Amino acid sequence: MTRIWKETGFLDNDPWVIETEERKAGEGERAILGLDAFLGVVSDSNEIGFGVLIAPGEDVTKLQACLDRVALVALAFPAFNDGRAFSHASLLRGRLGFVGELRAVGDVLIDQIPLMLRTGIDSFAVTNEVALKRLEDRRLPAIDLHYQPAARASADPGGFSWRRRATPAR
Amino acid sequence: MYRYDEFDHAFVSARVEQFRDQVTRRLAGELAEDVFKPLRLMNGVYLQLHAYMLRVAIPYGTLNSRQMRMLAHVARRYDRGYGHFTTRQNIQYNWPKLSETPDILTELASVEMHSIQTSGNCIRNVTADHFAGAAADEVADPRPYAEILRQWSSVHPEFSYLPRKFKIAVTGAPSDRAAIQVHDIGLHLKKDDTGALGFAVYVGGGQGRTPLIAKKIRDFLPEEDLLSYVTAIVRVYNLHGRRDNKFKARIKILVHETGIGELTRQVEAEFDAIRDSELKLPEADIRAIETYFALPSLSERPEGWEALARAKKADPAFASWASRNVAPHKHPDYGMVTISLKPIGGTPGDASAEQMDRVADIAERYAFDEIRVSHEQNLILPHVALADLEAVHEALAEAGLATANAGLITDIIACPGLDYCALANARSIPVAQEISTRFGSPERQAEIGDLKIKISGCINACGHHHVGHIGLLGVEKKGAELYQITLGGSGDENASIGEIIGRGFEPERVTDAVETIVDTYLGLRLDPTETFLAAYLRVGPQPFKIALYGEAAEAA
Repeated sequence: MTRIWKETGFLDNDPWVIETEERKAGEGERAILGLDAFLGVVSDSNEIGFGVLIAPGEDVTKLQACLDRVALVALAFPAFNDGRAFSHASLLRGRLGFVGELRAVGDVLIDQIPLMLRTGIDSFAVTNEVALKRLEDRRLPAIDLHYQPAARASADPGGFSWRRRATPAR
Repeated sequence: MYRYDEFDHAFVSARVEQFRDQVTRRLAGELAEDVFKPLRLMNGVYLQLHAYMLRVAIPYGTLNSRQMRMLAHVARRYDRGYGHFTTRQNIQYNWPKLSETPDILTELASVEMHSIQTSGNCIRNVTADHFAGAAADEVADPRPYAEILRQWSSVHPEFSYLPRKFKIAVTGAPSDRAAIQVHDIGLHLKKDDTGALGFAVYVGGGQGRTPLIAKKIRDFLPEEDLLSYVTAIVRVYNLHGRRDNKFKARIKILVHETGIGELTRQVEAEFDAIRDSELKLPEADIRAIETYFALPSLSERPEGWEALARAKKADPAFASWASRNVAPHKHPDYGMVTISLKPIGGTPGDASAEQMDRVADIAERYAFDEIRVSHEQNLILPHVALADLEAVHEALAEAGLATANAGLITDIIACPGLDYCALANARSIPVAQEISTRFGSPERQAEIGDLKIKISGCINACGHHHVGHIGLLGVEKKGAELYQITLGGSGDENASIGEIIGRGFEPERVTDAVETIVDTYLGLRLDPTETFLAAYLRVGPQPFKIALYGEAAEAA
């Protein structure tokens, strides 16, 4: 079963649903639209609080003009070794200044989560049993010292300009 | 050389514990092999034909005697008493136990070494000119920048799951000894008209099944922009590099399919967006890293000139070693010594634990405690007084390390091949050994002169056959090994990919074929100063084809 995890713990009542032909958001749920569907809808609407799914091959900068109306961006990791969404996250946070929720969906594994956190992803749709167990135990295999800046806020450990130290979750 | 500070020590220890946890989970069955594989690879652990293999980084090829002794200790304690130095300034151990690899890494960490990113689809060990900081022709030492790149790329959150591996090489001299044009990114450190340091940037070189020479995308990148520009390149690659076919996933294919003009535009656009970010290198940081690589204080040793001349006259073996294996240092009283790991008939790049210890002793006593590993699978003592060469030679000879063949036909590069490697189609080491034995006589090697033979046991080209003056590629045809020969390749500043000369040769005929090629060269060269490569570039493949396959084959 898929559960949503954030650094504050598991969420029990997550409303977001990735819409497909078969599955639509129902009562009390919120829809995550594909990028093209979102871009189609958003121009004819004054709504805010959209959810958008970015597939690995898509261009996140297409969101730029209407990002202030997006509450959640889901980044697809179709396989743990497809690392494109790490760049999507970096661009969304660093370049486009997205401050909403950034969610990793797909093959989300425990050893990748510390890296995802650093690129600015802050929620995780987790199915893998080992990952779920480790998250329940709050045993993230993270290294708290970093040799490069990243989207997630961090502290200056002193010394060379490129170095960072992890700060506790907000 | 660079010394770890507290931050580095804490980081490497944390990385070892992270890996120990992964190994524990794997051994407990919590991690499936397919998920464990990229994790172990990112820490240099391969599953080879017979056993696990551990690849340890020797960043930009620089190490000291304490580190070399640790490499010897690991060979003795955890392996079978030897190690194999590779073409990417790493050392490989062929027989460690998986359960012991975290302990090996803990031991290595105690001397500031690691195996971080020696494999996997991430930014690999950054390599540099093995004569860096010592060569007479150097503009500036490339190692400070290689060290900055090493740090910046370590456990990079955005770039740990790239489409494929990513190799960066840096050189600081006009003579390119780091083969930068066959790397994913090649950086050529130079000065502009004002004397400021920066880089010519090359992208998209590589060997493997599609060998391509890199394209220059920047003639001069100011040093402060190094991390921003490299980030821009790797980001464009991470987003757009092919992931549908691992054989087309390297950046060279992206460069080829996108076109260098369009790719340059994308990289420059990305760079423009981040050039003034926190990645910009402060001048003070670059200079601070640079001080770690300061030239040792070399006292004047002018007596060496006369001593060297006298010793050469007295001992022909020393004379040939000194003329082949000692290169000019930027200080006229010193030389750069190549310690050949290519004994006649031996395995290229292998060193025993005892030999590693001896090299450490010699480096400590005579060479300011500095050792280098070259991409040609030899060791280097970068700073040796001419006055000490005789003593160094004698000590090396006692350890079986005084083979006087640097740059000669028996100084062969070879991958581990089918004797160890799970990917190989054919053996490399026995072929290297047979060629080495055939041409082993010092007189014959001297007559042939500069000639680089490089042997790969499969199309992945770890033995760099594409850039060998004579390249041998082992392939499998109908269950049998066959060696395809390429001629005219070169990995230096005039980089070129060798041309396939014709149909391949069976293992028992390949040494004869090499001999035919060499004899053909000797017969057609203008004079003994015309090297094999120069002669080949002058006459082309025809005379060699005719010699190998006959006139009839040529007509057909």
